Amino acid sequence: MISYKWLKELTGLDWSPQEMAERLTLCGTACEYIDKADRYMDRVVVGKVTALKPVEGAAKIQLATVDLGGDGMDVICGAPNVAVGQKVPVALEGAKLAGDMVIKKVKIRGVESAAMICSERELGISDDHSGIMVLEADAVLGTPLAEQLQYDDYILTFELTPNRGDSMSAIGVARDLAALGGTEVRRPSFELKEVSAKASDSIKVSIDDPEGCPRYAARLIRNVKIGPSPWWLKRKLLTSGVRPISNVVDITNLVMLETGHPLHAFDLDRFGSREVVVRRAADGEEFVTLDGERHELVPDVLLITNGKVGVAAGGIMGGLDSEIEDTTTDILLEAAYFDPAVIRKGRKHLGLVTESSSRFERGADPNGIPYAIDRAAHLMQELCGGEVLKGIVDCYPGAIEPKEITLRPSRCNSVLGTSIAVSRMKEILQGLEFTVTGDDPMKVTVPTFRPDIEREIDLIEEVARIEGYDNIPDAVANIGPLYTPLGRLDRFKADARHILTGSGFDEIVNHGLVHQNQSSLVNPGQPQVKLTNPASEELNTMRNSLVTTTLNVISHNLAHRNLDLCLFELGKVYFPGGGPGQWVEKERLVLAVTGHSPHTWRSRPRPYDFYDVSGAVDHLARHFNWSGLTYRPHRFSAFEGDLSFQMTVDNIEMGFLGKVSAKISEAFEIKQPVYLAEVELEPLLAAEEVRKEYRPLPVYPAAPRDLALVVDQSVKAGDLVEVVKESAGDLAESVEIFDLYTGKQIDKGKKSIAISINYRSDEGSLSSEQVDQMQKALVSRLKKNFNAQIRDK
Amino acid sequence: MSLTDDVARLRQEAFDEIGRADSPERLNQIQIKYLGRKGAVTAVLKGLKDLALDERKKVGAAANRVRAELEEQIKETLGKLSVAAAGDAFDYTLPGTAPRLGAIHIVNQVIDEACLIFQRMGFAIERGPDIETDYYNFEALNFPPDHPARDMQDTMFVEGNGVLRTHTTPVQARVLETQKPPIKAITPGLCFRNEAISTRSHVAFHQVDGFLVDEGVTMGDLKGALVAFCKAFFGEKVAIRFRPSFFPFTEPSAEVDVSCFLCDGKGCQVCKQTGWLEILGCGMIHPAVLEKAGHDPEKYTGYAFGIGMERPAMLKYRINDIRLFFNNDVRFLKQFC
Ligand SMILES: [Zn+2]
Repeated sequence: MISYKWLKELTGLDWSPQEMAERLTLCGTACEYIDKADRYMDRVVVGKVTALKPVEGAAKIQLATVDLGGDGMDVICGAPNVAVGQKVPVALEGAKLAGDMVIKKVKIRGVESAAMICSERELGISDDHSGIMVLEADAVLGTPLAEQLQYDDYILTFELTPNRGDSMSAIGVARDLAALGGTEVRRPSFELKEVSAKASDSIKVSIDDPEGCPRYAARLIRNVKIGPSPWWLKRKLLTSGVRPISNVVDITNLVMLETGHPLHAFDLDRFGSREVVVRRAADGEEFVTLDGERHELVPDVLLITNGKVGVAAGGIMGGLDSEIEDTTTDILLEAAYFDPAVIRKGRKHLGLVTESSSRFERGADPNGIPYAIDRAAHLMQELCGGEVLKGIVDCYPGAIEPKEITLRPSRCNSVLGTSIAVSRMKEILQGLEFTVTGDDPMKVTVPTFRPDIEREIDLIEEVARIEGYDNIPDAVANIGPLYTPLGRLDRFKADARHILTGSGFDEIVNHGLVHQNQSSLVNPGQPQVKLTNPASEELNTMRNSLVTTTLNVISHNLAHRNLDLCLFELGKVYFPGGGPGQWVEKERLVLAVTGHSPHTWRSRPRPYDFYDVSGAVDHLARHFNWSGLTYRPHRFSAFEGDLSFQMTVDNIEMGFLGKVSAKISEAFEIKQPVYLAEVELEPLLAAEEVRKEYRPLPVYPAAPRDLALVVDQSVKAGDLVEVVKESAGDLAESVEIFDLYTGKQIDKGKKSIAISINYRSDEGSLSSEQVDQMQKALVSRLKKNFNAQIRDK
Repeated sequence: MSLTDDVARLRQEAFDEIGRADSPERLNQIQIKYLGRKGAVTAVLKGLKDLALDERKKVGAAANRVRAELEEQIKETLGKLSVAAAGDAFDYTLPGTAPRLGAIHIVNQVIDEACLIFQRMGFAIERGPDIETDYYNFEALNFPPDHPARDMQDTMFVEGNGVLRTHTTPVQARVLETQKPPIKAITPGLCFRNEAISTRSHVAFHQVDGFLVDEGVTMGDLKGALVAFCKAFFGEKVAIRFRPSFFPFTEPSAEVDVSCFLCDGKGCQVCKQTGWLEILGCGMIHPAVLEKAGHDPEKYTGYAFGIGMERPAMLKYRINDIRLFFNNDVRFLKQFC
């Protein structure tokens, strides 16, 4: 959050808030919201509490008389901090405050009130709702509050990318604006007056870990008077979303918001020594941060110490024991530079994200320290009456130098597809405060506030984003390969989806995360892939069967009274692999039915069963030319023992089909039969692809014959069909089962199966004698093999 | 041909005709043709007297059976035709009788639509594992260890140092290692994030990433391709803007916004009054990514992009709860038949 006025002050640009937001967004600093700072201050004026009296029968509220600079009025007030003499914001009738509150006339316990004394939260100033806001003593009665507070401003809220630490400051954002607007950033200038006593005589600084903390600078400021900050300072903090605390702390926060460099102020008297030692924390070392939390440290945390014990978790948060208090007089002001990766590890260990850590983590400017510390010291001198001791005690063992990067203008244009002039590139880079020498190539010195710029391509991006992506012409021609065939898995999936939805199945999609108990139940003894940090305990394992997720989906639907389901999914299952860091992922297809077929005016519902699943598999088999699809009984633990089958295609084991066992159904709270098939795709897709091929249409007539057989119940229709095909050979063009009957006219333990055979030869018309002969041979075979009786109608 | 064969053929023909009869009048004609006084079956029966005894018995039984069957079939069919099909009584408001139609899952429909557009531009489809290594998910894509960029993607891990891929860009890294430019591919698939499940976020989502590496690929090529995609996918009318952003594996990087097609860019709740919808991220492949895969970034350049598919699906179909995708409630699924 940055105030529009502040950016205007730093750039001198007279763009409207909307224009500023738009141009920043289009150069990479995305502005999410533009809010009017005074949007909740309409009809709110400055008033003074002149009297307070209790309201009869209401302990928590009082009646305050407020003077609005002429008019006076009585206002009911429930705030604990209200007092006579205070100047306060008074919202009049019709005022629209934060939280959709509109001020209306109210009557409480017989007392009428048509206004309200507001908290900061109600005015949209901060989220403080502990009491009413108390204004400066010199506030002018009756003045509109926005005017009194100088809140005729806009607040721009940015969404920052993690590479741009420099954008976490007003000056950083102003720098992009200046480059866009062809102007320069107007940094606050000041003259720091130091007293003659040297800081280095009173404090020593040493760094044990110069990699974690390459630079540590300190200043001493004596005889400060702690108190509230002036309004202009508070306003800058509030409009940046930071709570004012006291002048010294507010100054360190202001300089951080302004320059992007986090500072820390210690109470020198409570510091515990006159030396600063920066080191890694010892394993198990204890430290209490200023939020009162006790931490057990690890060496990942950089600790600022007084030579003995920790006084701050470097770059993350100060310690409770050396915090600034109302009685503090002498200040040790710290401006340090910490390594981003070290801060990241440290704050992860502490479980803290602070204004300071997020800036250091993205990269602060090691060479911006003198400006930042002097600016803060100067303000402490101006606003807190402090005396600044001479000199910065600066420990900077290995100076971090600006990088020098070569930019070839031709490369820039060839990567972007542009023809930007060399002079324009130079202008852009200089506008961003880079130093440029030469033309082609140019040598670019990258200031240390831009650690994200590492190589030529990064400079090319700088040119592109300031020039504007809109100014890169869109290519109109297609480049690269013009055609690449689709792989077999993708072709399979696309076709299977259409075939199965055409067959009435709905496609489901799962993310494959389940609970381990579900997986163990459905697929007992099978290895599982477990998550180490699941988003939710319910989803701590990756499925090793599509059955698990399908049953979850069925369960969900049944719970919502969707009782008739035909579902399929094309998805992956996961197993641990042969070694560490290895996993096996398999593509599978699951088909499931439960409930009843539709009840229409032409058809009665019937329960879905085995054949509804096998029928869909047949559709696929037909389309994909899977020949020799067979089922054989095979015990799978997920299925009922007598309804559990393995599917094979040309001896490739392609999966299983069956009725989900009662035990598993119950565990998934499924109270109706579920039939389900899971198909392993890899072996099918690895087999040689059988292409469809044209066969000439028949020229000779067919001789259709029907045959009704009575056989034992145990005889399988598929076996009968096999024998028919074998017996008739190529002359049986098709063999279909067209009736199945058990009942009155058939002996117990027997069934009647009717088969229609279409005889046809492609060499000539079959005579009825020929067909009769074949039928005869067939019948005798069926009698012999199956003890079949021929049934005459 | 024997007489029984003739009877069998007559039966077949008659049944075919009955099956194709579209009115009671037509059925009446069929009845006359086969069973009338001069009908074909009647003729067979009349001719029985000329046959030998056992032949007479056999053919007679067959013909009588056929007559009975045909009479029954005609009666039944007549019943149905008079309810549904005859003259004034024909009820055209009865529902048709095609088998029930299933629905392709809406998220797959949207993914297919996106993939098809890119396929027409010549992109291949490449796939990779859902369980990735840190190397392919991060390091090969120029995410330094302990860099805040890693926080952009809250990651779930599996036992054995596996990473549930947070994007499908790791497939790009894998393909770059094994193929030589020109390479032009999209990488659709499932991705995971360690996020709380709510109306707006989920532990998993689908992404379509894509990339092109060749000599002389420019950012203008990237813009041209994505403008073409957005117009094909969101409609010819949408405006498209590219704005600078940050991804570790691209430089320069961009976010692509399309003008809000819900309010025509005027500003509404969905686009947070901005008139723009953030749709995808893209950029020129970072030279470090090409280097890691063994390609010379001076010789080759490339672009890459990534689109999360649930969001455009939600926008296009006004779906207001991301959990609906993985709930698989058939009342939801069937809305997109
Ligand atoms: Zn909109």
